[in-house]
Amino acid sequence: MPAFPTLFRHTFPINLTTIAMIFLTGLIVIIVMRVGLRRLDMRNPRGLQNMLEWAAEFAANMARDTMPTEQAVRFILPLAFTMLFFLFVANWLGLIAIVAVHIHHPIQHWGITPQDFAQSKGIVELFDSPTANMSMTLGLAVMVWLLAHARGLRHPKQWLIHFYKPSPLAIIEEITNPLTHGMRLYGNIFAGEALLNVLVSAPRLFGWVPLTLPLTIVWLLYSAFVSTIQAYVFSILMCLYVGNKSFEGHQHH
Amino acid sequence: MFELGTFIVSIISFLIVFWIISKVGFKPLANVMEQRRVYVTSQLEDAEKNRHEAERLLEEQRKLLEQTRQEAKNILDAARQRADEQARQMLKEAQEEAARILAEGRELIERERAEAMNQAMQRMTELSVQLTSKLLHSYANEQVHAEMIKEAEQKLGELVC
Repeated sequence: MPAFPTLFRHTFPINLTTIAMIFLTGLIVIIVMRVGLRRLDMRNPRGLQNMLEWAAEFAANMARDTMPTEQAVRFILPLAFTMLFFLFVANWLGLIAIVAVHIHHPIQHWGITPQDFAQSKGIVELFDSPTANMSMTLGLAVMVWLLAHARGLRHPKQWLIHFYKPSPLAIIEEITNPLTHGMRLYGNIFAGEALLNVLVSAPRLFGWVPLTLPLTIVWLLYSAFVSTIQAYVFSILMCLYVGNKSFEGHQHH
Repeated sequence: MFELGTFIVSIISFLIVFWIISKVGFKPLANVMEQRRVYVTSQLEDAEKNRHEAERLLEEQRKLLEQTRQEAKNILDAARQRADEQARQMLKEAQEEAARILAEGRELIERERAEAMNQAMQRMTELSVQLTSKLLHSYANEQVHAEMIKEAEQKLGELVC
Protein backbone atom coordinates (compact mmCIF):
# COMPACT_ATOMS: atom_id res chain seq x y z
CA MET A 1 0.00 0.00 0.00
CA PRO A 2 1.51 3.32 -1.00
CA ALA A 3 1.20 6.17 1.43
CA PHE A 4 -0.53 9.48 0.72
CA PRO A 5 0.17 12.97 1.98
CA THR A 6 -2.44 13.40 4.67
CA LEU A 7 -3.71 16.32 6.68
CA PHE A 8 -4.70 15.89 10.35
CA ARG A 9 -3.37 12.37 10.32
CA HIS A 10 -4.58 11.41 13.79
CA THR A 11 -7.81 13.33 14.25
CA PHE A 12 -9.53 14.03 10.95
CA PRO A 13 -7.43 12.46 8.19
CA ILE A 14 -7.80 14.16 4.82
CA ASN A 15 -6.08 12.52 1.86
CA LEU A 16 -4.59 15.51 0.06
CA THR A 17 -3.82 13.59 -3.13
CA THR A 18 -7.46 12.57 -3.52
CA ILE A 19 -8.78 16.06 -2.83
CA ALA A 20 -6.25 17.62 -5.19
CA MET A 21 -7.15 15.07 -7.85
CA ILE A 22 -10.83 15.87 -7.47
CA PHE A 23 -10.08 19.50 -8.22
CA LEU A 24 -7.70 18.57 -11.03
CA THR A 25 -10.36 16.35 -12.59
CA GLY A 26 -12.86 19.15 -12.24
CA LEU A 27 -10.40 21.54 -13.84
CA ILE A 28 -9.86 19.19 -16.77
CA VAL A 29 -13.60 18.81 -17.24
CA ILE A 30 -14.11 22.56 -17.12
CA ILE A 31 -11.26 23.22 -19.55
CA VAL A 32 -12.55 20.62 -21.99
CA MET A 33 -16.03 22.07 -21.76
CA ARG A 34 -14.87 25.64 -22.16
CA VAL A 35 -12.78 24.68 -25.20
CA GLY A 36 -15.74 22.79 -26.61
CA LEU A 37 -18.11 25.66 -25.96
CA ARG A 38 -15.67 28.33 -27.12
CA ARG A 39 -17.54 28.97 -30.33
CA LEU A 40 -21.06 27.95 -29.47
CA ASP A 41 -23.05 27.51 -32.61
CA MET A 42 -26.69 26.61 -32.58
CA ARG A 43 -26.97 25.85 -36.27
CA ASN A 44 -23.93 23.74 -37.07
CA PRO A 45 -22.07 22.43 -34.02
CA ARG A 46 -18.52 21.35 -34.74
CA GLY A 47 -15.98 18.98 -33.28
CA LEU A 48 -15.86 19.08 -29.53
CA GLN A 49 -19.21 20.78 -29.23
CA ASN A 50 -20.71 17.82 -31.03
CA MET A 51 -19.04 15.46 -28.59
CA LEU A 52 -20.29 17.42 -25.61
CA GLU A 53 -23.80 17.56 -27.01
CA TRP A 54 -23.67 13.86 -27.61
CA ALA A 55 -22.62 13.34 -23.98
CA ALA A 56 -25.40 15.62 -22.75
CA GLU A 57 -27.90 13.78 -24.92
CA PHE A 58 -26.58 10.49 -23.57
CA ALA A 59 -26.97 11.72 -19.98
CA ALA A 60 -30.48 12.97 -20.77
CA ASN A 61 -31.48 9.60 -22.20
CA MET A 62 -30.01 7.89 -19.16
CA ALA A 63 -32.04 10.15 -16.88
CA ARG A 64 -35.22 9.71 -18.91
CA ASP A 65 -34.93 5.94 -18.67
CA THR A 66 -34.83 6.03 -14.89
CA MET A 67 -36.82 9.08 -13.88
CA PRO A 68 -40.59 9.09 -13.44
CA THR A 69 -41.26 12.63 -14.67
CA GLU A 70 -39.71 15.17 -17.01
CA GLN A 71 -39.40 17.54 -14.06
CA ALA A 72 -37.23 15.03 -12.22
CA VAL A 73 -35.16 14.57 -15.37
CA ARG A 74 -34.51 18.30 -15.52
CA PHE A 75 -33.56 18.21 -11.85
CA ILE A 76 -31.01 15.41 -12.17
CA LEU A 77 -29.68 16.19 -15.66
CA PRO A 78 -26.84 18.59 -14.70
CA LEU A 79 -25.67 16.22 -11.98
CA ALA A 80 -25.95 13.18 -14.24
CA PHE A 81 -23.94 14.87 -16.97
CA THR A 82 -21.32 16.15 -14.54
CA MET A 83 -21.05 12.79 -12.81
CA LEU A 84 -20.65 10.94 -16.09
CA PHE A 85 -18.01 13.30 -17.42
CA PHE A 86 -16.25 13.72 -14.08
CA LEU A 87 -16.01 10.01 -13.34
CA PHE A 88 -14.92 9.25 -16.89
CA VAL A 89 -12.01 11.66 -16.58
CA ALA A 90 -11.29 10.62 -12.98
CA ASN A 91 -11.16 6.91 -13.80
CA TRP A 92 -8.91 7.48 -16.77
CA LEU A 93 -6.44 9.71 -14.93
CA GLY A 94 -5.06 6.78 -12.94
CA LEU A 95 -4.60 4.77 -16.11
CA ILE A 96 -2.76 7.52 -17.92
CA ALA A 97 -0.28 8.09 -15.14
CA ILE A 98 0.41 7.42 -11.52
CA VAL A 99 3.04 9.68 -10.04
CA ALA A 100 4.75 8.57 -6.85
CA VAL A 101 7.81 9.79 -5.03
CA HIS A 102 10.16 7.66 -3.05
CA ILE A 103 11.06 9.06 0.34
CA HIS A 104 13.80 7.83 2.60
CA HIS A 105 12.38 8.74 5.96
CA PRO A 106 8.92 9.54 7.32
CA ILE A 107 7.84 13.14 6.82
CA GLN A 108 5.62 14.31 9.63
CA HIS A 109 4.42 17.43 7.75
CA TRP A 110 2.91 15.22 5.06
CA GLY A 111 1.23 13.17 7.70
CA ILE A 112 3.34 10.11 6.95
CA THR A 113 3.99 8.28 10.17
CA PRO A 114 6.76 5.73 10.63
CA GLN A 115 4.17 2.93 10.38
CA ASP A 116 2.96 4.29 7.03
CA PHE A 117 6.55 4.64 5.93
CA ALA A 118 7.30 1.05 6.83
CA GLN A 119 4.14 -0.23 5.18
CA SER A 120 4.60 1.70 1.94
CA LYS A 121 8.38 1.21 1.71
CA GLY A 122 8.71 4.94 1.28
CA ILE A 123 6.44 5.26 -1.77
CA VAL A 124 4.18 8.32 -1.64
CA GLU A 125 1.60 8.76 -4.42
CA LEU A 126 0.99 12.30 -5.63
CA PHE A 127 -1.04 11.67 -8.77
CA ASP A 128 -3.73 9.02 -8.88
CA SER A 129 -7.37 8.46 -9.73
CA PRO A 130 -9.49 10.18 -7.13
CA THR A 131 -11.92 7.29 -7.51
CA ALA A 132 -9.26 4.78 -6.43
CA ASN A 133 -9.94 5.96 -2.90
CA MET A 134 -12.59 4.23 -0.83
CA SER A 135 -13.52 7.28 1.21
CA MET A 136 -14.02 9.40 -1.87
CA THR A 137 -16.29 6.95 -3.71
CA LEU A 138 -18.27 6.27 -0.55
CA GLY A 139 -18.57 10.01 -0.15
CA LEU A 140 -20.09 10.30 -3.64
CA ALA A 141 -22.40 7.37 -2.93
CA VAL A 142 -23.57 8.85 0.35
CA MET A 143 -24.05 12.19 -1.33
CA VAL A 144 -26.31 10.51 -3.87
CA TRP A 145 -28.11 8.71 -1.06
CA LEU A 146 -28.69 11.99 0.76
CA LEU A 147 -29.88 13.63 -2.44
CA ALA A 148 -32.31 10.79 -3.08
CA HIS A 149 -33.78 11.05 0.41
CA ALA A 150 -33.93 14.82 0.24
CA ARG A 151 -35.96 14.46 -2.92
CA GLY A 152 -38.05 11.71 -1.38
CA LEU A 153 -38.90 13.96 1.56
CA ARG A 154 -40.78 16.28 -0.74
CA HIS A 155 -43.55 13.76 -0.37
CA PRO A 156 -43.14 12.74 3.29
CA LYS A 157 -46.09 10.33 3.35
CA GLN A 158 -44.89 8.28 0.45
CA TRP A 159 -41.35 8.54 1.69
CA LEU A 160 -42.43 6.91 4.98
CA ILE A 161 -44.53 4.31 3.23
CA HIS A 162 -41.79 3.24 0.85
CA PHE A 163 -39.67 1.88 3.73
CA TYR A 164 -42.10 -0.94 4.50
CA LYS A 165 -44.49 -0.99 1.54
CA PRO A 166 -43.13 -3.87 -0.54
CA SER A 167 -41.45 -5.36 2.55
CA PRO A 168 -39.57 -4.00 5.56
CA LEU A 169 -36.43 -5.48 4.04
CA ALA A 170 -36.29 -2.30 1.97
CA ILE A 171 -34.57 -0.72 4.96
CA ILE A 172 -31.60 -3.02 4.40
CA GLU A 173 -31.33 -1.59 0.91
CA GLU A 174 -30.92 1.86 2.38
CA ILE A 175 -27.61 0.66 3.79
CA THR A 176 -26.47 -1.72 1.08
CA ASN A 177 -27.30 0.57 -1.84
CA PRO A 178 -24.88 3.39 -1.00
CA LEU A 179 -22.31 0.91 0.23
CA THR A 180 -22.26 -1.16 -2.96
CA HIS A 181 -22.69 1.96 -5.05
CA GLY A 182 -19.46 3.43 -3.68
CA MET A 183 -17.50 0.23 -3.22
CA ARG A 184 -18.19 -1.00 -6.75
CA LEU A 185 -16.56 2.06 -8.25
CA TYR A 186 -13.67 2.03 -5.81
CA GLY A 187 -13.06 -1.69 -6.24
CA ASN A 188 -12.99 -1.61 -10.02
CA ILE A 189 -10.70 1.37 -10.30
CA PHE A 190 -8.43 0.43 -7.42
CA ALA A 191 -8.06 -3.15 -8.64
CA GLY A 192 -7.22 -1.97 -12.12
CA GLU A 193 -4.54 0.40 -10.89
CA ALA A 194 -3.13 -2.00 -8.31
CA LEU A 195 -2.63 -4.78 -10.84
CA LEU A 196 -1.22 -2.32 -13.32
CA ASN A 197 1.23 -1.21 -10.64
CA VAL A 198 2.31 -4.77 -10.03
CA LEU A 199 2.67 -5.50 -13.74
CA VAL A 200 4.71 -2.38 -14.40
CA SER A 201 7.01 -2.98 -11.47
CA ALA A 202 8.00 -6.39 -12.83
CA PRO A 203 11.69 -6.92 -13.73
CA ARG A 204 12.73 -4.82 -16.73
CA LEU A 205 14.30 -5.95 -19.95
CA PHE A 206 17.24 -3.74 -20.96
CA GLY A 207 16.46 -1.73 -17.91
CA TRP A 208 13.21 -0.15 -19.11
CA VAL A 209 10.86 -2.58 -20.89
CA PRO A 210 8.90 -4.60 -18.33
CA LEU A 211 8.87 -8.31 -19.08
CA THR A 212 5.12 -8.29 -18.64
CA LEU A 213 4.54 -5.76 -21.44
CA PRO A 214 1.89 -7.78 -23.39
CA LEU A 215 -0.04 -8.49 -20.22
CA THR A 216 0.27 -4.88 -19.20
CA ILE A 217 -1.19 -3.70 -22.49
CA VAL A 218 -4.06 -6.17 -22.30
CA TRP A 219 -4.80 -5.17 -18.73
CA LEU A 220 -4.53 -1.48 -19.59
CA LEU A 221 -7.11 -1.87 -22.35
CA TYR A 222 -9.36 -3.86 -20.06
CA SER A 223 -9.01 -1.28 -17.31
CA ALA A 224 -9.83 1.48 -19.76
CA PHE A 225 -12.96 -0.39 -20.70
CA VAL A 226 -13.85 -0.96 -17.06
CA SER A 227 -13.20 2.69 -16.20
CA THR A 228 -15.58 3.85 -18.90
CA ILE A 229 -18.23 1.31 -17.94
CA GLN A 230 -17.95 2.16 -14.24
CA ALA A 231 -18.46 5.86 -14.93
CA TYR A 232 -21.65 4.93 -16.74
CA VAL A 233 -22.75 2.44 -14.09
CA PHE A 234 -22.23 4.88 -11.25
CA SER A 235 -24.14 7.61 -13.08
CA ILE A 236 -27.07 5.44 -14.08
CA LEU A 237 -27.34 3.97 -10.58
CA MET A 238 -27.38 7.50 -9.23
CA CYS A 239 -30.26 8.34 -11.59
CA LEU A 240 -31.99 5.14 -10.59
CA TYR A 241 -31.70 5.74 -6.85
CA VAL A 242 -32.86 9.34 -7.11
CA GLY A 243 -35.59 8.28 -9.52
CA ASN A 244 -36.82 5.62 -7.12
CA LYS A 245 -37.27 8.21 -4.43
CA SER A 246 -38.93 10.77 -6.71
CA PHE A 247 -42.47 10.01 -5.73
CA GLU A 248 -44.27 12.61 -7.81
CA GLY A 249 -44.64 10.17 -10.69
CA HIS A 250 -45.81 7.32 -8.48
CA GLN A 251 -48.88 9.12 -7.23
CA HIS A 252 -50.91 8.13 -10.24
CA HIS A 253 -50.38 4.41 -9.70
CA MET B 1 -8.81 2.50 4.60
CA PHE B 2 -11.85 4.61 5.41
CA GLU B 3 -10.93 8.15 6.38
CA LEU B 4 -13.67 10.39 7.67
CA GLY B 5 -11.84 13.57 6.69
CA THR B 6 -11.34 12.45 3.09
CA PHE B 7 -14.95 11.30 2.99
CA ILE B 8 -16.42 14.63 4.04
CA VAL B 9 -13.98 16.84 2.20
CA SER B 10 -14.49 14.76 -0.97
CA ILE B 11 -18.19 15.44 -0.85
CA ILE B 12 -17.60 19.15 -0.36
CA SER B 13 -14.95 19.25 -3.09
CA PHE B 14 -17.15 17.39 -5.51
CA LEU B 15 -20.05 19.70 -4.79
CA ILE B 16 -17.84 22.71 -5.47
CA VAL B 17 -16.60 21.17 -8.70
CA PHE B 18 -20.12 20.23 -9.67
CA TRP B 19 -21.37 23.72 -8.98
CA ILE B 20 -18.66 25.26 -11.16
CA ILE B 21 -19.10 22.75 -13.96
CA SER B 22 -22.84 23.17 -14.09
CA LYS B 23 -22.44 26.94 -13.96
CA VAL B 24 -19.79 27.48 -16.61
CA GLY B 25 -20.04 24.27 -18.59
CA PHE B 26 -23.38 22.58 -18.56
CA LYS B 27 -25.66 25.56 -18.48
CA PRO B 28 -24.47 27.15 -21.76
CA LEU B 29 -24.47 23.74 -23.40
CA ALA B 30 -27.99 22.97 -22.24
CA ASN B 31 -29.08 26.47 -23.27
CA VAL B 32 -27.78 25.99 -26.79
CA MET B 33 -29.43 22.59 -27.05
CA GLU B 34 -32.71 23.94 -25.75
CA GLN B 35 -32.42 26.91 -28.09
CA ARG B 36 -31.88 24.56 -31.01
CA ARG B 37 -34.79 22.39 -29.96
CA VAL B 38 -37.06 25.42 -29.79
CA TYR B 39 -35.71 26.68 -33.11
CA VAL B 40 -36.22 23.36 -34.85
CA THR B 41 -39.69 23.01 -33.42
CA SER B 42 -40.65 26.50 -34.52
CA GLN B 43 -39.16 25.90 -37.95
CA LEU B 44 -41.14 22.70 -38.29
CA GLU B 45 -44.29 24.49 -37.25
CA ASP B 46 -43.57 27.27 -39.71
CA ALA B 47 -42.98 24.79 -42.48
CA GLU B 48 -46.22 23.05 -41.64
CA LYS B 49 -48.08 26.35 -41.61
CA ASN B 50 -46.51 27.42 -44.90
CA ARG B 51 -47.42 24.15 -46.49
CA HIS B 52 -51.03 24.56 -45.41
CA GLU B 53 -51.01 28.13 -46.72
CA ALA B 54 -49.56 27.00 -50.03
CA GLU B 55 -52.16 24.28 -50.32
CA ARG B 56 -54.89 26.75 -49.58
CA LEU B 57 -53.56 29.20 -52.18
CA LEU B 58 -53.21 26.46 -54.75
CA GLU B 59 -56.76 25.36 -54.14
CA GLU B 60 -57.92 28.96 -54.46
CA GLN B 61 -55.99 29.40 -57.70
CA ARG B 62 -57.40 26.22 -59.08
CA LYS B 63 -60.90 27.30 -58.21
CA LEU B 64 -60.31 30.69 -59.75
CA LEU B 65 -58.93 29.13 -62.92
CA GLU B 66 -61.88 26.80 -63.17
CA GLN B 67 -64.22 29.72 -62.70
CA THR B 68 -62.45 31.76 -65.34
CA ARG B 69 -62.50 28.88 -67.77
CA GLN B 70 -66.20 28.46 -67.20
CA GLU B 71 -66.76 32.15 -67.75
CA ALA B 72 -64.75 32.13 -70.95
CA LYS B 73 -66.72 29.17 -72.16
CA ASN B 74 -69.95 30.95 -71.36
CA ILE B 75 -68.87 34.06 -73.22
CA LEU B 76 -67.76 32.03 -76.20
CA ASP B 77 -71.01 30.12 -76.24
CA ALA B 78 -73.02 33.29 -76.10
CA ALA B 79 -71.00 34.84 -78.91
CA ARG B 80 -71.39 31.76 -81.04
CA GLN B 81 -75.09 31.72 -80.44
CA ARG B 82 -75.37 35.36 -81.30
CA ALA B 83 -73.38 34.87 -84.47
CA ASP B 84 -75.55 31.94 -85.42
CA GLU B 85 -78.62 34.00 -84.85
CA GLN B 86 -77.24 36.84 -86.87
CA ALA B 87 -76.31 34.56 -89.72
CA ARG B 88 -79.73 33.03 -89.69
CA GLN B 89 -81.27 36.44 -89.66
CA MET B 90 -79.16 37.60 -92.56
CA LEU B 91 -79.98 34.51 -94.54
CA LYS B 92 -83.60 35.00 -93.88
CA GLU B 93 -83.43 38.61 -94.93
CA ALA B 94 -81.54 37.74 -98.06
CA GLN B 95 -84.09 35.08 -98.93
CA GLU B 96 -86.88 37.52 -98.36
CA GLU B 97 -85.14 40.09 -100.48
CA ALA B 98 -84.64 37.61 -103.24
CA ALA B 99 -88.24 36.51 -103.07
CA ARG B 100 -89.32 40.09 -103.17
CA ILE B 101 -87.16 40.89 -106.18
CA LEU B 102 -88.40 37.77 -107.91
CA ALA B 103 -91.97 38.66 -107.20
CA GLU B 104 -91.39 42.15 -108.46
CA GLY B 105 -89.85 40.87 -111.70
CA ARG B 106 -92.61 38.45 -112.17
CA GLU B 107 -95.15 41.18 -111.63
CA LEU B 108 -93.37 43.42 -114.11
CA ILE B 109 -93.36 40.73 -116.74
CA GLU B 110 -96.97 40.03 -116.12
CA ARG B 111 -97.79 43.66 -116.42
CA GLU B 112 -95.80 44.12 -119.61
CA ARG B 113 -97.35 41.06 -121.11
CA ALA B 114 -100.75 42.33 -120.23
CA GLU B 115 -99.86 45.66 -121.74
CA ALA B 116 -98.56 44.09 -124.91
CA MET B 117 -101.68 41.95 -125.08
CA ASN B 118 -103.79 45.04 -124.66
CA GLN B 119 -101.92 46.82 -127.40
CA ALA B 120 -102.25 43.84 -129.67
CA MET B 121 -105.93 43.59 -128.93
CA GLN B 122 -106.34 47.29 -129.58
CA ARG B 123 -104.44 47.02 -132.84
CA MET B 124 -106.49 44.08 -133.89
CA THR B 125 -109.66 45.97 -133.11
CA GLU B 126 -108.44 48.89 -135.11
CA LEU B 127 -107.52 46.69 -137.97
CA SER B 128 -110.84 44.87 -137.93
CA VAL B 129 -112.58 48.21 -137.75
CA GLN B 130 -110.54 49.41 -140.74
CA LEU B 131 -111.08 46.18 -142.52
CA THR B 132 -114.77 46.26 -141.85
CA SER B 133 -115.10 49.84 -142.90
CA LYS B 134 -113.08 49.12 -145.96
CA LEU B 135 -115.16 46.11 -146.70
CA LEU B 136 -118.35 48.01 -146.14
CA HIS B 137 -117.12 51.01 -148.06
CA SER B 138 -116.27 49.38 -151.31
CA TYR B 139 -118.65 46.42 -151.40
CA ALA B 140 -119.75 46.47 -155.12
CA ASN B 141 -119.50 44.81 -158.44
CA GLU B 142 -117.18 42.65 -160.35
CA GLN B 143 -115.15 45.50 -161.51
CA VAL B 144 -114.51 46.83 -158.15
CA HIS B 145 -113.70 43.38 -157.03
CA ALA B 146 -111.16 42.98 -159.69
CA GLU B 147 -109.65 46.32 -158.91
CA MET B 148 -109.37 45.30 -155.33
CA ILE B 149 -107.64 42.10 -156.16
CA LYS B 150 -105.33 43.95 -158.43
CA GLU B 151 -104.62 46.42 -155.72
CA ALA B 152 -104.09 43.60 -153.29
CA GLU B 153 -101.80 41.83 -155.69
CA GLN B 154 -99.95 45.09 -156.25
CA LYS B 155 -99.67 45.59 -152.54
CA LEU B 156 -98.57 42.02 -152.10
CA GLY B 157 -96.03 42.49 -154.82
CA GLU B 158 -94.85 45.58 -153.12
CA LEU B 159 -94.73 43.66 -149.89
CA VAL B 160 -92.79 40.84 -151.55
CA CYS B 161 -90.36 43.04 -153.39
